[in-house]
Amino acid sequence: MAIGILNAGLSGLGAAQIGLSTTGHNIANVSVPGFNRQQVVQSTQTALATGAGFIGQGTQVSTVRRLYNEFLDHQVLAAQADSSQLSAYYSQIQQIDNMLGDASSGLSPVLQGFFSALQSAANNPADSTSRQAVMNAGDSLAAGFNAMDQSLARMGDAINGQIKSSVASINSYVQQIAQLNQKIVLAQSSASGQPANDLLDQRDALIADLNKEVKVTVLPQSDGASNLFVGNGQALVMGSTAYGLSTLNSPIDPGRVEIGYASPGGTIPLPESGFQGGSLGGLLAFRSQTLDPARNTLGRVAMTLADTFNQQHQLGQDLNGAAGGSFFNISGPQVNASAKNTGNAAISASLSNASALTVSDYRLGFNGTVYTLTRLSDANQQTFASLPQTVDGVTLTLASGAASAGDEFLIRPTVAGAGSISVAVTGADKLALAAPIRATQGNANTGRGSISGGVVNGPPPVNANLQQPVILTFTGAGAFNVSGTGTGNPSGVAYVAGGNISYNGWTVQIRGTPAAGDTFTIGPNSVGVADNRNALLLAGLQTGSFVGGNMSYQSAYANLVGTIGNKTHALDVTSTAQAALVDQSTAARESFSGVNLDEEAAQLMRYQQAYQASAKVMAMAGKLFDAILQLG
Amino acid sequence: MRISTNTLHAQGLSAILRNEAQMLHTQQQVSSGKRILTPSDDPVAAAQVLDVSQADAMNTQYGVNRSAASDALSLAESSLAQVSSIIGNVRTIAVNAGNAILSDSDRASLAAQLSSALSELQGAANTTDGQGRYLFAGYQSQSQPFTSGPAGVQYNGDDGQRLVQVDSSRQMGVGVSGADAFTRIPNGNGSFVTGEVAGNTATGIINPGSVVNPSALTGHNYSINFSVSSGATTYAVVDTTSSTTLLSAQPYSAGGSIRFDGMDIVVEGAPANGDKFTVAPSTNQSIFKTVQDLVNLLQTPVSAPGDSARLINGLKQGLTNLDQSLSNVLTQRGVIGAKLNEIDALQSTGNNRSVQYQQTLSRLQSVDLNSAISDLTQQQLSLQAAQKSFVQVSGLSLFSYL
Repeated sequence: MAIGILNAGLSGLGAAQIGLSTTGHNIANVSVPGFNRQQVVQSTQTALATGAGFIGQGTQVSTVRRLYNEFLDHQVLAAQADSSQLSAYYSQIQQIDNMLGDASSGLSPVLQGFFSALQSAANNPADSTSRQAVMNAGDSLAAGFNAMDQSLARMGDAINGQIKSSVASINSYVQQIAQLNQKIVLAQSSASGQPANDLLDQRDALIADLNKEVKVTVLPQSDGASNLFVGNGQALVMGSTAYGLSTLNSPIDPGRVEIGYASPGGTIPLPESGFQGGSLGGLLAFRSQTLDPARNTLGRVAMTLADTFNQQHQLGQDLNGAAGGSFFNISGPQVNASAKNTGNAAISASLSNASALTVSDYRLGFNGTVYTLTRLSDANQQTFASLPQTVDGVTLTLASGAASAGDEFLIRPTVAGAGSISVAVTGADKLALAAPIRATQGNANTGRGSISGGVVNGPPPVNANLQQPVILTFTGAGAFNVSGTGTGNPSGVAYVAGGNISYNGWTVQIRGTPAAGDTFTIGPNSVGVADNRNALLLAGLQTGSFVGGNMSYQSAYANLVGTIGNKTHALDVTSTAQAALVDQSTAARESFSGVNLDEEAAQLMRYQQAYQASAKVMAMAGKLFDAILQLG
Repeated sequence: MRISTNTLHAQGLSAILRNEAQMLHTQQQVSSGKRILTPSDDPVAAAQVLDVSQADAMNTQYGVNRSAASDALSLAESSLAQVSSIIGNVRTIAVNAGNAILSDSDRASLAAQLSSALSELQGAANTTDGQGRYLFAGYQSQSQPFTSGPAGVQYNGDDGQRLVQVDSSRQMGVGVSGADAFTRIPNGNGSFVTGEVAGNTATGIINPGSVVNPSALTGHNYSINFSVSSGATTYAVVDTTSSTTLLSAQPYSAGGSIRFDGMDIVVEGAPANGDKFTVAPSTNQSIFKTVQDLVNLLQTPVSAPGDSARLINGLKQGLTNLDQSLSNVLTQRGVIGAKLNEIDALQSTGNNRSVQYQQTLSRLQSVDLNSAISDLTQQQLSLQAAQKSFVQVSGLSLFSYL
């Protein structure tokens, strides 16, 4: 009897000891990330069946369990993956947001300065200082575009680096998780199925860390291992085997690092759409949804500005009387052939209408019979049986060779615009501020007619007979004869006051009441150094709606600022909200699994008392034993 | 709900961090004076700021342009004022030259005065701006527009007029073409010109005449032929363009008007038999030729009675042409004056607009200091509260009592 009491006391003592050490373990690990509090599960020992009934034999510790709820944990994982994505996206876009900054920096002041310089030169077209000021302002404008583009390009490079380091840490996590899986399986099987709590916690903490980089799907196995999948079902961990991701340069765009899946047959590129969530997903989303469009938008402003400005400049005449050339140099649309192409086709792309440009990139595929052009921004597809074709202001031409089925080309119309713009004019005297023609009324005119200065019709190239002298001779108040090379010398042309008169690529208007015999001459504007007509037309471009056909240069830039601002603002709000969701779900999980020190203190007291009580039971059993011995 | 110790710490800390971030933002707003630190603070306003500041900068540039236009116009105006005063002097000399008591040498010295006035006039027409560019040369501002040659003073410029963008939708011409100012001036009375035929022997003097019926004007050349027979002076009017005689054997009375084809012409004095006068449509004559003609006229000696009538006729013609030149210059000055007025009006509109833009910009991007500082104080308060409560809550532990 006394033996039974002793055993019961002993079992209580042991259980209380385990309780105390588990509580101590909980207290010690209070700040270990991913630690789930542990609890001793006690049960009664099998009772002794007697005629008097079942007599309790004390207690036993059936297991030490960790308070882990898979549902709560997965909620944290899901919220965390989204939050990591949003905050990675947010911290990237903030760089652009800061760069665009306020109105006193950025592109706005240099754009304004350029057109102001142009207006000042128009006020004083023969003055070399004013002309030089236009050149300098043009340089500043180009430098403004270049610097901004360079910052964006650097962000692209930085993202390439971050993708690589993110993939490296993913691979390291994956390795560790696979090793832990192995340890867990071994430990649990050797402990006859008892859970290896601390190893499980370690592994789950690593999964949480991995999940911050990239969103993973966790499938727990019956043997204690967890299998992990990423993207569209690519296995990262299967039991104790780790499969890594790798990075590769995009075959169609070598400057772009993409994610691949290392398989025995080589690296297979994975589609970006598979990587939603995690900071890697945030980086990829930032690159394709914000960085590329921002760079293209800036490039489109530069290309439209350069194209429209050059066209008008070419209609003018410089200080030396020569026809204007291009004011800006700029690269045209870029074409990259995929490294995997089997055909030898060389596709070239050229700008045909700057106003029709979009900010999207395009993918041109060939299936053996037709070309398919996909606009990447909205997946709009067009098919052609042959090239050349003009789409969205860009003309695609098959420069040489032939494409094979499956060949692909990436067409990036505006990406190089902002980075490559520079001033082409080599001297201030080459600024074409004057018009190449001028209109003069005859000195002997007796009527009251006046002629406008004359405008050269765009677009360039100008008419070959532009500067041929043309004489308009009035035969009466209502009609005139035209004579001059290239006009066909029509006679009896009806006179409409203020109406357009166009020959040889120019347009003039005559107003008032010319008399019979009055002459008006349109001829070359030789030594017309005080002429500023083309300067005014160039300055007038500032307010024209050219970018995308509906925005001025300035408003296109303002639109970019607004778009980035809106997106940043939205990300600020959503990432904060998502972080709050993470906090909430973490609090819910912690509420179940986390260590509360007050609670542990209480447990400590409880197990201490249980220990003391069990010891007392044993002491009492000893006394009973002594009493029996005294009887003998 | 069960709260884990970590949650207690993490949430207390994140509240403190959040408060600090908000305070930093407000502090930056206060110290920069700007409400929008990055576009994301207010994307719509940030884009608007760019648009408004472009409009503001353009408005400022139009102001600069207006000053340039005003300078150019004022310079042209002062040159033309000089031209007006020279024409006034020439006119006085021409009137004096008609005085019958003057001798040939008196007239020769007047002619010398006129010659120097002619040079002065040419100088005024070749005025340059501060940078050595000719004002009245059209587009060819680097070459002298008025040069003297065997045929008198020639205009080498063109009709080009420099335009200046003085407002968003107004381009103003600020140049005056030399042709408009000095050479393209109708002679005579603006419609026709009268004169005597060389070789008239008597004292007949013809006036410039006037138009009485513009619709009857033909633009033809006419000749008024006088004949004297048995003491009676008669005249006939012949349309030399169509060779038709319009009037014949009309009795002449000195100072009586002769009317035909919408014109009214007065001949004075006593024309001799065979004396002829011509009437021709106006042509353009430069101010330089007008003065040169006067110089030539005064240099020709007067001896026969016909000479004196020739002198008077010539002076009358010259004075008429001078008046045409003067009125032409005054018209140009009137146009310039009107433009200068317009610039003044545009300037005050521009100034108002600038104030408006500044107000808009300030409304869009400037921080309201009162509310920002009150926000700052409030955030400071809640940060202090968060810190204090964190310290108190985390200080509570059951272990303190064990």
